[in-house]
Amino acid sequence: MLIEVSGLKKSYTTGTVKTEVLKGVDLKLGKGEIGVILGPSGSGKSTLMNIIGGVDRADSGRVTVDGTEVTRLSDEELTEYRRAEIGFVFQFYNLIPNLTVGENIEVVANISKSPLNIGAVLQAVEMQEKKDRFPRELSGGEQQRIAIARAIVKNPKLLLGDEPTGALDYQTSRSILRLLQQVNKEFGTTILLITHNTAIAAMANRVFKLRSGKIVEEWVNQEVVPAERIEW
Amino acid sequence: MVMALRKRVMRILNENKWRYLGILVLIFLGSYTFIVAAGLAQNLANLVTTFTEEHRQEDLSFRADQVIPDREGLEEAAGAVIEEYLSFDAALSGTLTLRLLSATERLNTPAVIEGRALSGPEEILLDPAFAKANGYPVGSQIEAAGKTFTVAGYMSLPHYIYPLKNVNDILTSPQEFGVGVITREAFAGLVDAERIYAARFNDRTGSLNRQARELREHLRAEGITVSDWIDIMNNRRARLVWASITGMKTMSVPLPVAMFLISCLIIAIMFWRVIRRDAVIIGTLYAQGYRRRELTRHYMTIPLLLALAGGVIGSLLALPSIAPMVMGMVSYYNVPVPGVTINFLNVLAGILTPVLFLGLSSCLVIRTELRRSPAELMRGDRQKTKVNALERALKLERFRFSTKFKLREQFRSIPRLLFLFFGITSASVLMLFGFTAMNSMNRVFEASDVYQFEYEYSFQDLQFGAAPEGAEAFNAGKFYPENNEEMEFYIAGIEPDSRLITLKDLKGNPLPNNQTNITKPLADRMGIKAGDTVTFINKEDGKPYTFKIDAVAASYVEQFIYLPRAEFNAKMGLAENSYRGLFSTKKLAILGEKLSGFKDMSALPGAIDEFMGQLGSVVVMMTVVASVVALIIIYLVTSLLIEESRNTISLFKVFGYKRREIRSLILNSSTLVIVAGFIIGIPLAVASMGAVYGYLGKMINLVLPPVVNPLYVVIAFIVIMLTYQLSKALCAKSVERVAMSEALKAGTE
Ligand SMILES: Nc1ncnc2c1ncn2[C@@H]1O[C@H](COP(=O)(O)OP(=O)(O)OP(=O)(O)O)[C@@H](O)[C@H]1O
Ligand SMILES: [Mg+2]
Repeated sequence: MLIEVSGLKKSYTTGTVKTEVLKGVDLKLGKGEIGVILGPSGSGKSTLMNIIGGVDRADSGRVTVDGTEVTRLSDEELTEYRRAEIGFVFQFYNLIPNLTVGENIEVVANISKSPLNIGAVLQAVEMQEKKDRFPRELSGGEQQRIAIARAIVKNPKLLLGDEPTGALDYQTSRSILRLLQQVNKEFGTTILLITHNTAIAAMANRVFKLRSGKIVEEWVNQEVVPAERIEW
Repeated sequence: MVMALRKRVMRILNENKWRYLGILVLIFLGSYTFIVAAGLAQNLANLVTTFTEEHRQEDLSFRADQVIPDREGLEEAAGAVIEEYLSFDAALSGTLTLRLLSATERLNTPAVIEGRALSGPEEILLDPAFAKANGYPVGSQIEAAGKTFTVAGYMSLPHYIYPLKNVNDILTSPQEFGVGVITREAFAGLVDAERIYAARFNDRTGSLNRQARELREHLRAEGITVSDWIDIMNNRRARLVWASITGMKTMSVPLPVAMFLISCLIIAIMFWRVIRRDAVIIGTLYAQGYRRRELTRHYMTIPLLLALAGGVIGSLLALPSIAPMVMGMVSYYNVPVPGVTINFLNVLAGILTPVLFLGLSSCLVIRTELRRSPAELMRGDRQKTKVNALERALKLERFRFSTKFKLREQFRSIPRLLFLFFGITSASVLMLFGFTAMNSMNRVFEASDVYQFEYEYSFQDLQFGAAPEGAEAFNAGKFYPENNEEMEFYIAGIEPDSRLITLKDLKGNPLPNNQTNITKPLADRMGIKAGDTVTFINKEDGKPYTFKIDAVAASYVEQFIYLPRAEFNAKMGLAENSYRGLFSTKKLAILGEKLSGFKDMSALPGAIDEFMGQLGSVVVMMTVVASVVALIIIYLVTSLLIEESRNTISLFKVFGYKRREIRSLILNSSTLVIVAGFIIGIPLAVASMGAVYGYLGKMINLVLPPVVNPLYVVIAFIVIMLTYQLSKALCAKSVERVAMSEALKAGTE
């Protein structure tokens, strides 16, 4: 297993009110698998993913990624962990507006020990012609492709995507999902996605349903559907 | 709602208090320097003008070979007041000389500034700097020229405002020289006293030069030979004070204007940001029926508040500092100070100028932003992703990522970039200006690489024969280019094998003295090159003489043409072995009465130290101000930069950039611009220095070289870089404070 989460708890205190966001989450995802987290808004999906990605801390419980016990790392070690292992794709792409496409990818390649060739990565996301454009000059789908390119350039063990298609239309969403599937196949990258969209679950190896901070349902897809065949 | 808006103003101020404080300080410095410098210049000008008019400063003075027989007739003919006075240099000790002058009634009348006027021949009025330096309080006794005088009081003299011993000296030294006024009767028995004539023309508007020429013609017609003719314009004792005043005046405008402009630029940039960030709110208010005028007024509050506060604080602090500063400046000169006036128009200008500048610039920005439609505004901060033409044009493939990123960060906002660049340039210029001044002055006084002698003797009358042992004879005369009598200088005949005058060419190789050499400052002033043949008028006989220049000699101060003495004498029609002065390495036994001048080169250092000490404190002040300005500018730009790059910083953190790496990428991005700004500052400092010096130098007949010592450039650079480090340290926290959640939640709010 690449990811092993057990008994994960997290709460926020705002003023005097304490909200339990994660109430003991258990989750496992194997190497090279695609996992999807489903759940209604406010159920704690992002919180869970942030803890796995090492950008947030849990109150208790443990998260292990490829043998590293993430929940026990110091701030500096978390930085190293993110730097070496994790790729992020966001709902709103989060490209740096004053850097060109190529430079946006370099942002990550720059701190990676053995980055992939930027040209090759751009080719993988079919964006090699747009290398010198600025993000503003690209469509949302194109921006997300660049964001994926940026995430995979360091060849991460784990790619995390918080609603990567949340801001895109149907067709574009499907092409992005297909791209993710391709990355998974080609580079063997383990991928964990958050989505509202149950249909997307079909392309995952494992699906986790989160409700009010608990996994209420979890299943393994025996037959993974190619993204281009998913419809909703 | 209006109430609520007002509360927002306070909140905006509070959220960015350091930034606004920085701007406040810039405005404050601008107002302060303006009011102080203008106040100083006006007061000094006022004091000097009042003094020289009321006490009837001479227009020129000269010595004559005989008593002018029909003075009244000459006065009539030349349209001038002419008065004779006596002068006698009394040696009080080996190093201390008191010049006794006879009290005059019509010209150069002494102004008693302490004590009372002379009432008898046993009394004396002293120059206050001399009296204080040597311990002669009012009422005490002083022995001079074999007589005892009681100090009746202190006085100022219009032709000794800057009490130089010799007209061509540079610095006064009250420990070595002073002036005293005694009655004419007290001169009885002082047979060596010189007779000097002072003249002042009645026509105050006519050309001084023309009137002086006419006077000289009248004198010549009467068969009177004159010497030591000095126009007031060439008299450093009277003119040096004007150099200070002009210096102050020139400082009073550009410096504050630069500060105000810098503040305006930064205020404009910052408000652009504030408004951009507020775009949605503005759009909403707009949509709800707020008028553009009301919104403009709302956003104008902060700049106007800052301008007003800075201006008021600046002038409040400036007003009480004018009087002590005037006194400080005046103590350097000898001018009576009946009172220091404060010009409230200046105060008004000191307050209104920043208000106007900042008001206009921020109004412009706000108006431009508000011109967009409410709908456009409500759509929010989309502008942020826009890329300017310069960013687009940047071709950075070849660079490392960090270099690329830093360049892009800097070019993100052109106004910000310009602000940083010009800010650093002006701070560097200010700093280098101070250091250069110190260097140049040092160089002026360290002219010893030309002069190898210790003493210089000038004789009343032409001497003949061989020079005494250890001394070298020279002959010299004052000359001026045709039609430009103000540009007078000396041409000196020296020994062709002189070892006491050692000239070097511009490359540093020794120049022989058996040819005609011109020093560089004079060559520059006259536009003369090696190989030129030039003609100058001799001041004594008014006849033209022609010289063939062989070489230009390196020098900073001296304005001379040197040629072999025999050649000089032949040209002038003087006996071959005649001379007018001696250079010597040791003291010579020459009777004082034969001399018209004596210069002790070793007397200079004390005065120089004192002067350099004063200059040093000015330079330290300038450096401090420049560093503060640099600090504020770098801090403002860095904090703006961080503000604008929050999302990027947050993203970097998410991607696993280390603290050190982020700090380096964001905070060090200004290094290039700062270094470039500093480098550009060097030639600018030299150029502006050259301009100011050229102006001042002309005024006091001295060529001041703009010298840049690499050591000081390095020091200035270190100071700027330290300032940079400091502001980075101040900003490091805000980089740290940027949370990862900003990137994670980006776009969701
Ligand atoms: N920094 C915070 N402070 C306080 N409460 C927080 C914070 N972050 C999240 N929460 C709360 O935690 C709960 C879970 O948030 P989370 O972002 O994980 O939900 P989510 O499942 O990702 O929802 P969505 O689908 O809308 O993105 C929410 O109720 C939210 O209000
Ligand atoms: Mg979420």
